[in-house]
Amino acid sequence: MGLATNADKLVEMAVVGYVSQPSVRGYIPHATGEATILPGMSGFIYGVRVGDSAFDYAADHLEPGASIAHPDLDADYAMHYLTCMGNQAFLMSGLAQGTEGIVTGEHARLLVDFPPEAADLIGVGDAVQIRALGQGLQLVDYPHITLKKCSPKLIESLPIEAVDERTIRVPVTMELPVRIMGSGAELNPDFVDQDLMSGDRALMAELGIDQMRLGDLVVVNHADHRYGRGYKPGAVTIGLCIHGDSIMTGHGPGILTLMTCAEPCIQWVIDPDANIANYLNIRKES
Amino acid sequence: MSAKTNAHQVISVSVQGVVTPPRMPPLPAMPYSLAADGSPFLLPAYGSIVYNVSVGDSAYGWLADCVHPSVSVKVDDATGNRGLNVLACVGNTAIVMTGNAQRARGVVTGKTGRFSEHVIIHFEQEVREQLAIGDKIVIKAKGVGMSFDDHPDIMLKGCSPELVEALEATTDSAGKLSVPVVAAAPPHLLGAGAGLVSDGGSIHIQTADRGALQEAGLDQLRLGDVVALTDYDSSWNHGYLRNAVGIGVVAQGDSPRAGYGPGVTLIMTSASGNIAPLVTPGVNLKDLLL
Repeated sequence: MGLATNADKLVEMAVVGYVSQPSVRGYIPHATGEATILPGMSGFIYGVRVGDSAFDYAADHLEPGASIAHPDLDADYAMHYLTCMGNQAFLMSGLAQGTEGIVTGEHARLLVDFPPEAADLIGVGDAVQIRALGQGLQLVDYPHITLKKCSPKLIESLPIEAVDERTIRVPVTMELPVRIMGSGAELNPDFVDQDLMSGDRALMAELGIDQMRLGDLVVVNHADHRYGRGYKPGAVTIGLCIHGDSIMTGHGPGILTLMTCAEPCIQWVIDPDANIANYLNIRKES
Repeated sequence: MSAKTNAHQVISVSVQGVVTPPRMPPLPAMPYSLAADGSPFLLPAYGSIVYNVSVGDSAYGWLADCVHPSVSVKVDDATGNRGLNVLACVGNTAIVMTGNAQRARGVVTGKTGRFSEHVIIHFEQEVREQLAIGDKIVIKAKGVGMSFDDHPDIMLKGCSPELVEALEATTDSAGKLSVPVVAAAPPHLLGAGAGLVSDGGSIHIQTADRGALQEAGLDQLRLGDVVALTDYDSSWNHGYLRNAVGIGVVAQGDSPRAGYGPGVTLIMTSASGNIAPLVTPGVNLKDLLL
């Protein structure tokens, strides 16, 4: 049985974004100096979904599924701040109108997974309306633990254990050292993710970080993400891998903050299946 | 004498900025920012003419968010500002072109990153009294393209020939470039600026945990101090890499915000770790350049 939440008090509100055109930065220098042009950001990515590798594609900041944005900056901010992971999304226009999807990430755009059979019918510019629900969500018996961008559906789907009256335990696929947390340190965790820095390729292999999959739950120990993102001994942050690796120095797979606590009150247990594709049944055959 | 460079091949080019007004975030955020513990605060932030904070003063203790000592310049056009921010080098000469302080000379002491993107210039206090927001300031930019003759694995960034000379960096017995610094920042204390541009901009030393700061010997930093970045490669952006070493100068003061603290402007980096920082008290731009 899940932990008690205040989900019955939340307001559910519609926000809309539009399937984006891919963006390309031009040449990106590798850490080693040579430069490459790679796809990954924005657009609709065919055939890559949560549950697939975060490292194994010839891509940069690969955003699985549909990346949606709103051209009006204020409306775009509202979409960013209100949308939570696991929220329902619906195509409101185009050939796949009426198809239901699910929010799986937030990068510079929101990332929505749609069933593969709809992929060929999704056009750039199609409207995607999200039933935004989750801002304000709390674990009522653990008010010192902050939830960020968690829908009630996501929280209810996770096998979170109550350890004692102060502490919970969450399954994760791996632990990330705080010293490799990089780009996004300048942003607040209510607005987009923070990249892990994958530039030390040998370290990625040593720690098994290169086995990460899109949709994995991970833990960053000694990271306080309540108000900004900072180093704090004893603080714990649970994150979600939302986009793929990058060749840019200081970048790598994107880790979105889901839970954070200034004290060591979130324990973790390593579970290779701790991925939202499993918890939210995203890849079940329809 | 410092290690030899190709400074004779480096061109000197004019870049101009104007003295910036201080800026505040728009409604509805109100003017408040959030400290690392979540408390709202309202303090002067970056930019403008700062009359009473200078290179050589403490980086800590000011009631300000990432204060820029002395004078900050920028241009409104984004590509023009990129040119200013990348080409201006620490140690370059700046000349006031308009207003009551015309012809006064200053020295570039730092550059700042995402959200401000200023160039910071030291002017003596009597010059600051004469300056106005909007005054045009030309910088004789020189340094981009410079490299060490005998250390091809070290990249110089945002560093003037004058600063290289003044640092008296020499090749040690192991063949590494020995650079005097006041302290070295470990990677877990480097925050905002990771993954962002290293040819301009800044990377911030996080200060929310004062114990860790003290342990690393970073709790007494002064504006203008030369510091090392440990296990950080800043060849093409700032990012974690074991054994890589960067050298920078403390350009901005402390911040209450999470992930922030004194902002460091990079001057050199070696991905292969061929810089050997030599901890030496008092290595500061005030003595090196001003």
